[in-house]
Amino acid sequence: MNLANLFRSPPMDPMLKIVSGVAIFRDCNRAELEALKLHLHERHFLAGEIVFDEGEEGEGMYVVIRGKLRANRKGLLAKKLLGVIQPGESFGEMALLGAGPRMATVVAEEDTTVLAMFRPELVALANARPRLGYKIAMGVALVLETRLRRVAEGQSPEPSST
Amino acid sequence: MKAGGSSERSLEHPIIWIAVIAGALGSILILKAVAWLAFPLILAIVLYYLVQPLLHSLQSAGVTPGQALGIFLGAAIVMTLVFSLTILPSMLSSLSEFQNQIPTYWDRLQIVIRDNLLALEGRFSFAKNAKLADGLEEQLNLFLEGAGKKYVADVALFLLHWLPSLLLVPFLTFFFLRDGTAFHRLVLRAVPNAFFEKTLLLFDRMDEQMRAYFRGMFGLTMLDTVSLGLGLWFLGHKSGIFGFWDAMFLGLICAIFAWVPYIGSGLGGILAVATVAVKAPQSSGLMVAVVLLFLGVRLLDEFVYTPMTVGRALRMHPLITVMMIFSGGMLGGVYGLLLAMPLLGIFSVLGQMFAEVWFDPRLRARYHARGMLEKKLASKDLGI
Repeated sequence: MNLANLFRSPPMDPMLKIVSGVAIFRDCNRAELEALKLHLHERHFLAGEIVFDEGEEGEGMYVVIRGKLRANRKGLLAKKLLGVIQPGESFGEMALLGAGPRMATVVAEEDTTVLAMFRPELVALANARPRLGYKIAMGVALVLETRLRRVAEGQSPEPSST
Repeated sequence: MKAGGSSERSLEHPIIWIAVIAGALGSILILKAVAWLAFPLILAIVLYYLVQPLLHSLQSAGVTPGQALGIFLGAAIVMTLVFSLTILPSMLSSLSEFQNQIPTYWDRLQIVIRDNLLALEGRFSFAKNAKLADGLEEQLNLFLEGAGKKYVADVALFLLHWLPSLLLVPFLTFFFLRDGTAFHRLVLRAVPNAFFEKTLLLFDRMDEQMRAYFRGMFGLTMLDTVSLGLGLWFLGHKSGIFGFWDAMFLGLICAIFAWVPYIGSGLGGILAVATVAVKAPQSSGLMVAVVLLFLGVRLLDEFVYTPMTVGRALRMHPLITVMMIFSGGMLGGVYGLLLAMPLLGIFSVLGQMFAEVWFDPRLRARYHARGMLEKKLASKDLGI
C-alpha cells in the first residue's frame, strides 16, 4: 500500500472534469466545482429530441457531456443551421443573464447527455458564495466579449450563442 | 403564493380550481390522520426557511456549507440547554399553576357575564323579557355537557399529540438543511425533458413564495406579539393585572390565534377581554380599553404590519377564505383551522404550476414526440 495515496485527493468526477474545461467555469477551483455539482441536473436526450425552442423563455445553460446537438434558426424560407455542439461545449449561456427568448432551437443529433444549470439556482449559489459568483459572472462576460469581437470582425458567432 | 399575471389566467380553469380546493381539504384529512408527524414536519419546514438566511450569511463569510450547519447546530444545542435550565422551569410551574386555576377562571368568567347581563336586564325591558342571563347560563351548561367536552377533548388531544413530537423538529430541520438540494434534484429527475426547464422555474417560484410567506408570518407574529403585549402591559400593570412577561405571553397567544384569518383575531380579543374580566371584574373601563387596543392592533395589522411582512400574497376572496376555514375546521378540527389557508396557498401554486406546464401545447407536443421516439427505438428491429 502506497502511503502517499492517503494524502492525494480522490480523482475528479469525469463529468466535473468536462465542466472544468468549459470557458465560463475555467477559473473555478475544485472545491467550487464540487459546490457547483450540487446544482447540475443531468438530462438524457434521444436523437431527434428538442432541448429547447427558439423564442422560448430561457432559464439556464447546458454543457454537453456525450453526444452531439445542432442549433437551428428560423430563416425566411428554411431553417438555418448555426452549427453543431460537441462534448465539452456549452450552449444557452445568455439565459444566465436574464430570462430573454432563446435565439435558436437546439435538437439532439444523436443520443446525448447534458448537464443543465439554471439561473435561479446559480444566483442562489452566487449569493451564498460570492467569490464563485464573481468567477461565473466574469466567465459569462468573457464568453460574450469573445462573441461580440467575432461579430465585429464579420464572423458568425458560435452556435452556443443561443 | 400569489397568483400573478399570466399565472392568474392559468387558474381560471374551473377543473384546476376544484382540484386545488379538493387537494387542500384532502390534505387536511391526511395530515389529521398523521398529526403526530405532520405537525413537526410543518414546523421543520418553517424553521428551514427561517434558518436558511443565517446559513447563507455564514457561507458568505467564507465558511463551507457543512461547517455552517455545524455552527448552527452547536448554537442551537447551547441555546436549548440554556433555555431548559433557566426559563423552562419557571414556565412549566406557571403553566401548572394556570392549569389548576382553570375551574376558578371559568366560574369567575361565568359570574362576570351573568352580572353584566343582569345589569343589562335591569336597564332594558327587552333584555329582561328575553331572560338573557338565564338563557346564557342554560346554553353554557348545555355546551359544557355536550360540544364543550368534545372541543376540550379535541384541544387536549391536539396538545397530547404535538408536544412529544416536537422533539422531531430539530432532527427533521437538520436533514432538510443538509440534504434539501439533493432531494430537490432527486424530485426533478422524474420530470420529463419537455417540462423540465419550466418546472424548475415554477419550483423556484414556489420556493421563493413559501420562503417569503413563512418569514413574513414569523415577522407578523412577532410584531403582533410586541404590540399586543406592550399594550396589555401598559393597560394592566398599574392595577396589577399583568406583569410584563404575562402580557407578552398573552400577546403571543393572541398573535398565534390571528394565524386563522378573520376568526382568529376575534378569538384572541375575546381571550384577552375574558382574562381582564376575570382578574378585574369591576373595571369595565379597562375591558373597553382592551377592546380598543385589539381594534387598534387589528388596524395596524391590516394597513402597516401585513403589507410590511407577508404582503398581500395570500389574499383571497373573503368568502373563499371563510368557507375554507370552516370546512377545514369541520374536517380537521384545530389542525384544519390552522392549516386551511396555508394549504390552500400551496395548492394554488401547485395548480398554477400544473396548468402552466400541462396546458402549454408546444411542451405537450414535445413530450409526445419523445414518447414516439422511445416507441420507435423500442420497436426498431421488430419490422413493424
